[in-house]
Amino acid sequence: MTDAIVSVEDLRIQFPTQNGRETVKAVDGVSFSVQPGETFGIIGESGSGKSTLGRAVVCLQKPTEGRVLHHGTDPNSLPGADLRRRRREYQIIFQDPNAALNPRMTILRSVREPLDIIGTAPRVERERIALGMLDLVGLPAEFAARYPHELSGGQKQRVNIARVLTVRPKLIVCDEVVAALDVSIRAGILNLFADLQREFGLTYLFITHDLAVVSHVSSRIAVMYLGCFMELGPPEALLRRPLHPYTQALLSAEPIPLPSSMRTGQRIILTGEIPSPTNPPSGCRFRTRCRSAQDVCAAEIPTWREIEPGHFAACHFAGSATGTRS
Amino acid sequence: MNAADPLLTVRGLSVFFRAGLDVVQATSGVSFAIQPGERLGIVGESGCGKTVTGLALLGLLPRASSRVTGSAMFEGQDLISLSPGQLRRVRGRKISMIFQEPMSALDPVFTIGSQIGETIRTHFGVDRGAARRRAIDALASVGIPSPERVHDSYPHQLSGGMRQRAMIAIALVCEPRLLIADEPTTALDVTIQAQIIDLLMDLSARTGTALLFISHDLGVIAETCTRMITMYAGEVVEDAPVDAALVRPRHPYTSGLLRSLPRLSPRGAALPSIAGRVPSLRDMPAGCRFAARCHHALPDCDKAQTLSEVEAGHFVRCWRHDVLELPGALTDLERVA
Repeated sequence: MTDAIVSVEDLRIQFPTQNGRETVKAVDGVSFSVQPGETFGIIGESGSGKSTLGRAVVCLQKPTEGRVLHHGTDPNSLPGADLRRRRREYQIIFQDPNAALNPRMTILRSVREPLDIIGTAPRVERERIALGMLDLVGLPAEFAARYPHELSGGQKQRVNIARVLTVRPKLIVCDEVVAALDVSIRAGILNLFADLQREFGLTYLFITHDLAVVSHVSSRIAVMYLGCFMELGPPEALLRRPLHPYTQALLSAEPIPLPSSMRTGQRIILTGEIPSPTNPPSGCRFRTRCRSAQDVCAAEIPTWREIEPGHFAACHFAGSATGTRS
Repeated sequence: MNAADPLLTVRGLSVFFRAGLDVVQATSGVSFAIQPGERLGIVGESGCGKTVTGLALLGLLPRASSRVTGSAMFEGQDLISLSPGQLRRVRGRKISMIFQEPMSALDPVFTIGSQIGETIRTHFGVDRGAARRRAIDALASVGIPSPERVHDSYPHQLSGGMRQRAMIAIALVCEPRLLIADEPTTALDVTIQAQIIDLLMDLSARTGTALLFISHDLGVIAETCTRMITMYAGEVVEDAPVDAALVRPRHPYTSGLLRSLPRLSPRGAALPSIAGRVPSLRDMPAGCRFAARCHHALPDCDKAQTLSEVEAGHFVRCWRHDVLELPGALTDLERVA
């Protein structure tokens, strides 16, 4: 689709290991596209490659193979000045609100900094925009002169959001943006993201390990495991009728605050751990932990199939009786 | 709480820290009891005093800069007034603790085996060979594949989940009566978390070890514990059987925590959040500490609140508990069903 704000085509990103003898396949053949105004959620465990994928979308990481297209053009092919201009439209917010702020800068200076670097607007104007953004994220003007250590985690994350907004991005990659926050604070930040999306028509790529968060905010969810997408679909379908055994296990592992009598279903406890991305299993990469694995799973890589309209999965048995038992 | 002899009875536990020339009070009059074999959860957000309470019970707070008052009766002894030598005989033997980040709780320069062996030899005075056999058994009992190899590995050679298993093996090798687990699954992936929760439940059922489970995650507490304590700003605000607290919380803060979970709101709808922030330790209100963030606050909430029993076994620190109808962890549909 050409009107996609981002499309990723067979993206592969590899890193050499420290001794240089092996290759870590962090992202290993991922394709998807994100429409303007959408919230595209990516859920995965540590080591699934979700953060590397997010960094590639905002050109912080060069693809080893494949392409990332912004509105149909490859930003990595642009000359330096054009790439820098393009980058303003594609921003990222990280997990740790502390690490992203310079402790020696006031809040106002941190928020103003992107505009200082662009350097086109006069100083008064930059200050005005920065204060406006602070107000927009719910921080009154008295915060402007404070330093990061005087703020709580939630307030610091609001500062990071305000700073990103100063350059008027079209798409924001949100990489575990609420993971470091307390439950009651988390709700406020998620609400803020929703408000900003409505106000500015933002597109989000929402990366998280938290199923409850991703299903609340996303219009589509991709489930990532060991560098590949396992399943992709709208949240309702993905939660009610997960097609991939890995998604089924993730859903059932989620601890739910319900009385014991109301909890339904047998919990699927996966044995073992995520294999090393230097040497992923042959065939289906989930097969070593999959309770439905058969011989074919080791022999053949499952194809990425559209099982129901808009609902994709990479599993030999997805849609058949073996694959959907839950 | 029933009248059977509790394993641990904590009364009026307060923790003070010296901060420069000031003294700040981190927890204030924390009281609760754990029955033998019971699984009790403490929930609360960062800074509410849940970790400090666990550390105070085992005398693990820095003696030079902290002071603990109150009592904690465990098998006829008051843990708070024990000497360091007496505490050492309890710690690791009768009461063990596991922590959130196994990498920082394990010593990087010793093998897993020597760290388990240290505990065994300290408390049982056995020789190295016997300690090794027992350590390998302990590693096997927490589901570690090839325990001999892990016994001779260093912490950095193991994954996060395996390290947490090793820490549990160290904590349980002396078959303690009580295990204090402070956010033991927070640093782990959800599928590994499920494995560790499963393991802790299984071990607790098998050995009769009581569990004090400290977590910010209401889902984890709901799945592991039979009773839950909610802490806010250094105080216990609610103490109830888990199911009662989930279905019908009686304190507005417990209810607020439950309602802010995304699963209860339709997709894309605004989440109920708790506005404002926890009051500063240096500037605690005299009355209800949650009043400034509470939707139900009245002028009288600035009077001191007591933790009172509103139903059998259900304690709440809110004078309005009998007039408030607070929603819990059920969606509207689930409540009707």
